[in-house]
Amino acid sequence: MTAAGLHRPAPGSPPVHGPAGPAATLRLRAAAGWRLTRLYLVSRRVPMALVLLAGLGVLLWAALRWRWNIAGGAAAKQFIPLTIETGAAALIAVTTYGPFGEPERAAGRWLPVLRLAAAVALTAIAFGLLSAGAAAAHIADGGAAAGVLPGGTIALLRNLAGMTGLGLLSAVALGGAFGWVGPMAYLVVTEAALAHGSVTPWVWPTRPPFDRGAAVCAGLVIAAGLVLITVRGPREPGGDPGPA
Amino acid sequence: MTAATSAPARPRAPRAARVVPLSAWRLLRVELRRNAMPWILPLIAALFWFDSYRPSIQTEPLYVIRTFWNLGQGGTIIDFGPFVAAVAAWMGSRDGRRRLADLVTATPRPRWTAQLATWAATAIWAVAAYLVFVGVMFAMYARQGVGGAPPWWWVAVGVTGVIAFSAAGFAVGVFWPSRFAAPVAAFGSALILLMSSRTGFTHTSGWAMILPTNSNGNFQNDSGISYPWLPDLPIARIMFLAGIAAAVLGVTGLPARAGGPGLRRAAAVIAVAGLALAGTATGLASSARLTAHGMAIPGLHDAASDAPIAYTPVCGHAAGVPVCLNPAYGRWLPAITGALAPELAEVAGLPGAPARATQVATGYTGGPVAPPGPPVATGAAGPPQALTLTGQPAVLRLSLGMLNMPGPCGFCDGPVNGTQFAGQVRLMFAHAFVGAGSAPGSPAQRAVQAALLRGAGIPFAAQPLVMGHTDNFPGAPRSKSATGPIYAAARRFAALPATARHAWLAAHLAALRAGQLTLKDLP
Repeated sequence: MTAAGLHRPAPGSPPVHGPAGPAATLRLRAAAGWRLTRLYLVSRRVPMALVLLAGLGVLLWAALRWRWNIAGGAAAKQFIPLTIETGAAALIAVTTYGPFGEPERAAGRWLPVLRLAAAVALTAIAFGLLSAGAAAAHIADGGAAAGVLPGGTIALLRNLAGMTGLGLLSAVALGGAFGWVGPMAYLVVTEAALAHGSVTPWVWPTRPPFDRGAAVCAGLVIAAGLVLITVRGPREPGGDPGPA
Repeated sequence: MTAATSAPARPRAPRAARVVPLSAWRLLRVELRRNAMPWILPLIAALFWFDSYRPSIQTEPLYVIRTFWNLGQGGTIIDFGPFVAAVAAWMGSRDGRRRLADLVTATPRPRWTAQLATWAATAIWAVAAYLVFVGVMFAMYARQGVGGAPPWWWVAVGVTGVIAFSAAGFAVGVFWPSRFAAPVAAFGSALILLMSSRTGFTHTSGWAMILPTNSNGNFQNDSGISYPWLPDLPIARIMFLAGIAAAVLGVTGLPARAGGPGLRRAAAVIAVAGLALAGTATGLASSARLTAHGMAIPGLHDAASDAPIAYTPVCGHAAGVPVCLNPAYGRWLPAITGALAPELAEVAGLPGAPARATQVATGYTGGPVAPPGPPVATGAAGPPQALTLTGQPAVLRLSLGMLNMPGPCGFCDGPVNGTQFAGQVRLMFAHAFVGAGSAPGSPAQRAVQAALLRGAGIPFAAQPLVMGHTDNFPGAPRSKSATGPIYAAARRFAALPATARHAWLAAHLAALRAGQLTLKDLP
């Protein structure tokens, strides 16, 4: 065993032996940026989140393909897709939990950017996976109307974005590990609103896909969630060391 | 010093071993204190209020209707289940998250028993909260004078459901100590409950009766008012949910680190017994059959459950005719007597005019899942009618469980106002009086019915609307205008002086009821 490896500069650190050219510096910075991003994503269990999001896409495909609808009209048909969208939002919110706490906050200059980028990227990926599941079901169903996602992809985008915003707000208020609380509570509220015919825009899944008020409300929530998770980050746990 | 002290010491009888050692209670107390469940309870309370309580108070003040959604369709379980499962998963994954699994495995107490203490504390918090929330809801109902008996068996189903979800969530956390365990447990529970509802809406019999949010067969009409809530189906569901809970908790005791061989064998036995219990319950539910009082399961049915609930009726008078109702419907006595009075005055003294009116129990009729209310028409006989005339002297039998009473409704388009209600009662009385039964009636019967309604203050022009609004009224008109030969005959008949109408009815009522008269026979 030798200590030779220890003399190798850490990726991203300034060159030790003489000045390097701008290309080398850029390369080193890119490598450092990639390493930082990868470590951040791994520490947030993003790979597992992606697997679970893909599972939700498959579940949505199965639900639409085999018509797991709830009897009772157009509103009732939203329940299962909405539950799946809630699950996706809950997973995204839970990825905000960081295991390193104060040291990471103190030393991580790029942490806010990483938090924002991860949340936006995961929301976009979740939207893509769920849209793909819905499209696959529609195609497999031979284009039949019964295999269509209620409200289409516009409603999917609005609902998922709004509920992800709620998840991020929950993470800010309760901690990343409890980011699921907001979307799940909202699901129960939405379910009650759908069952009893409430149509306030703040319960956006009850509104038609192109409803402006619902889109504004969902947009405000995701914007607030993204701003707060970027600026403040998730609440740090007190006594509990948090999840893996 | 006495001889007793010098006597050889007798071996002391061994103290009876405690069934549950003191240290286990201490452990449970610690787990109760350190549990995460209390933190989520305020949120569940808010959701419970929003989803289970608030909508229910917009319905008729009868327990069978107030609790149709929140207990019959499992609304309270939907409010609790996902959150309880998630928090239980969080608690179950605690040792794994803290990297303490190896450490706690080395402690004298077997890991599985320690885990059971954690689960028990979680379940105790959840069940206590469920009971408190439902208790407060029932107390509010009692303050509002809600009639009938609370569905206690369905509360027990809810309690067992909470236990089952806590056990399932806990098992998820034990086997997958990840940050995603809680959201996955919550999502899975929500999906299961929605799928259970979905299956319940389409499967009105068979194995699906075991599902916790399937409301078929036990939340209709006069349960808890005229006859007791049948416990058969709730017992089967309690068995099923308890079996599920036992099975998943048993499975958590199977890994090698859970404890010694004896303990793991016990866990295996519990898991198998739980599965057997759940399977047995499903089999029992499959054999459920719909009776007049709800779902009866032959293997669980107690004939004593069929005895009607004894009560002292509340009575009033309508045009001198005594009208007696179940006390649960007492608040509507003035509305009923007010609705009946004009027609009872109109037919007073005629053969077959009711000597009294009394409320009778409304039987279950099956059909697709529906809130309490008018039964669904089955077969060619037509739907059973809410008002019937039977006996000699005639008694007007009021099956009020079929009607939406005046006031908040909750399961119809909007509140039922007094005029609407009176119109429907008068229509059904006239329909019964002319002997049309569950059929639309002959043209002559319909003409006399229209004339009686006219005499009771419902203009001809308004009658098609009243018929359209009366659920399951046989032969509801296709046209909204009161025209045609039937209404022409009715107008002719109504134009007669009251004494002439009365005299004609006295002479021809038997033939009219037998369907022997035509429109031409009317004066």
